[in-house]
Amino acid sequence: MGKRDVQICFRFGSGTPDMERHRSSGARTPLNSALVQRRSRSKSYRLSYRSCLGAASRLGLTPALTARRLNTSRRAPKSHNISEKVSVEQLALLLKKEWKLSYVTPLYRFRHTQMRGYSRQLSAFIAAEKHQGLAVDVEAAQGSFRASFSVIQGMTETDDDAETILIQIHSKSSFPGQDEPQRALWSGWLTCVYGNPEYLNSLPKDFTCLPLFCSSGSEVLTNAVKSWFQLTFDCCFGPLEISHTSLQWLVALWTNCHAECNIQHLKMIWSVPVVPPLQITYTVDGQDAWELWNSLRRDPQEEGEGGKDEEAGSNIDIMEVERFMQGLKGHFYRHFRLDLSAGSLKQVSTALGLAKCNGRMKISNSKYMIATLTLLTECALLKMPM
Amino acid sequence: MDDPSQRLLRRLLRRIPAGNLKTTLEKWGRLTAAQWRTIDFTQTKSSIVQMLAFCAENEFTMKHITELEMMYVIDNPNKGMWYAFQLIDPEADSQSLELTQFKEQFKSHLCELVRNVSVKIKKHTDEAVWIRIAWGDSYSRPNHLKPTYIVHHLQTPYVFVTGLSPKQRPLVSQALVLSSRYHAIKAANLSGRNLTAIRDLLMKQYQQVFPTRFPSPLSERNQSVSNPQIEREHAGHKENRLQMASETFGDGMLPQLQSSVYKLETKFRDRANQTMTEREEPFKCVVKFASTNLLESLKLCVSSGIASTPVTPLLSSIPLKGRNYFVITDNGPAPSSQMPLSQN
Repeated sequence: MGKRDVQICFRFGSGTPDMERHRSSGARTPLNSALVQRRSRSKSYRLSYRSCLGAASRLGLTPALTARRLNTSRRAPKSHNISEKVSVEQLALLLKKEWKLSYVTPLYRFRHTQMRGYSRQLSAFIAAEKHQGLAVDVEAAQGSFRASFSVIQGMTETDDDAETILIQIHSKSSFPGQDEPQRALWSGWLTCVYGNPEYLNSLPKDFTCLPLFCSSGSEVLTNAVKSWFQLTFDCCFGPLEISHTSLQWLVALWTNCHAECNIQHLKMIWSVPVVPPLQITYTVDGQDAWELWNSLRRDPQEEGEGGKDEEAGSNIDIMEVERFMQGLKGHFYRHFRLDLSAGSLKQVSTALGLAKCNGRMKISNSKYMIATLTLLTECALLKMPM
Repeated sequence: MDDPSQRLLRRLLRRIPAGNLKTTLEKWGRLTAAQWRTIDFTQTKSSIVQMLAFCAENEFTMKHITELEMMYVIDNPNKGMWYAFQLIDPEADSQSLELTQFKEQFKSHLCELVRNVSVKIKKHTDEAVWIRIAWGDSYSRPNHLKPTYIVHHLQTPYVFVTGLSPKQRPLVSQALVLSSRYHAIKAANLSGRNLTAIRDLLMKQYQQVFPTRFPSPLSERNQSVSNPQIEREHAGHKENRLQMASETFGDGMLPQLQSSVYKLETKFRDRANQTMTEREEPFKCVVKFASTNLLESLKLCVSSGIASTPVTPLLSSIPLKGRNYFVITDNGPAPSSQMPLSQN
């Protein structure tokens, strides 16, 4: 609490006193004032990651210049035996499926204890939407939909992270077989892995931050779920593209895993802006990619896998990522005399997963999913509106 | 009409776009004038039903239906992936081979190799011989739903194949080699969805630009620019790039190729990276270029400066050698710009 007080004191002195006052009062007397504030000011409750960090950095809590951008250094992904923390069945639901990514602003008065009530409400909401003839028209769904909320325990990495929420929508009319589990028509989850603690702590008590929303299934149902969330938790959604830099981060983070887990190949797809558009798929053998990566690490004599928790071995710097990309591009240029920098990186994949610039991703191996989700959580927090 | 021919006919009629149906059937010319008048071509569904009835009425056999299919495929060849092959080592009389001779021999050679096979050969107007093969084995009748198509231009070493499984490849190869009076056949490492494009590329039937000693003089009309010297130099570079691009990839309409694949097994060389340069093993990677018209895209890369000039032999080999699959290795201490293109 002491820390928060420091921040609050500072905010009074900062450039946006109005908004900050609301926020701080919200933090002290959570329920009532936050409600009032929600009615009176339409924007202030959507606490922004950037504004928070911008303020915090002036206080010296985070490095001033880099705070608004993606982290320039991150921990090397370590093999997490996540199946020990998270149930295997639940993990299986998240793997090997292509997810469409969105960001979500913090949820107001969301309770992890009310999953059953939410399931009922969402089912009713979709039924109402359908009745109005507004949206739902999924081939398999003559009957009504049954939505179910569940908590995926154990995906969190720090105490500030909220537990992950999984939503599945089944069709009621179909008769599930006795043995085979019923397949979901639509599924989606909201998660927060290693969310920025300064930001998470700065939120008023009644807000739950699960900034990364992944959905898979019909667009119509996605929209229905989004509107229900918007109405119920007063949040807003937006598309989350994966930027060029984030894709490059994934290239490096995934390649770095090769020492412990075979990534098989590193596949990158570039698009070059000529007419007709040229697409270049560059697939590097996993071992060779790793050897190149290893040769470019900051301190070659200190092997990444050897250094257990030493700073140098377990941290990856953006400079290293850039050198690695440069190395890959250089090898390409030497053969084709074509500069890949003229194009844009569209897609990255290895045996661990896949990510596309249009905001789609797939996780194929649970061991390293935490690193990927950490990066995506950070992207989602950055994408939130000011 | 037996069951298989009816099934083939139904599938074929569904494949032909409604707009083309009338002309294709007209060309086929198997329907009587009375039947022709009854068919309502504005209604796709009913015309198909009527056609099926008429074909049954006329007691058409598989022969008639495959004839219709061949006609449709010859007119619309760009539906599948075509692979190019090259016959090598001709015998003395390979140039004087006649169509009838080739036809007879190909059929007999292939039938010697496989029991149940149905072969149909047709000569197209542009000197190409079209061969349709429906495969069966000792226990089953030929499956007409999955035919192989082969296009061979007599007196040239090129053969284009679509719908051929690896199991049948040696059979076709042997029959082709024997009947066309060559000694061997090999994959030409060229494939694409557009048959004419890969044919034009191999036979160099597209507008080429040859290097000239004196490039076209620069027009020096617009002198009213801020710095004519710089402007002229830029224009010179641009002109040069355009010339290079045209020399490498040709001019006008370029053959429509969809992709080109390189398997690189070369050493990683980088002056700044000692560890990798000293490594013995090659850096293994696969690079695939893809576009709706690859040569056009690459040409623009060169002329716009995204790809540097002179164009690397790896890219210029696509039109030069008529190939789009390459395996690249370092053969000895070759300088990087002269990477040999090895055969695979």
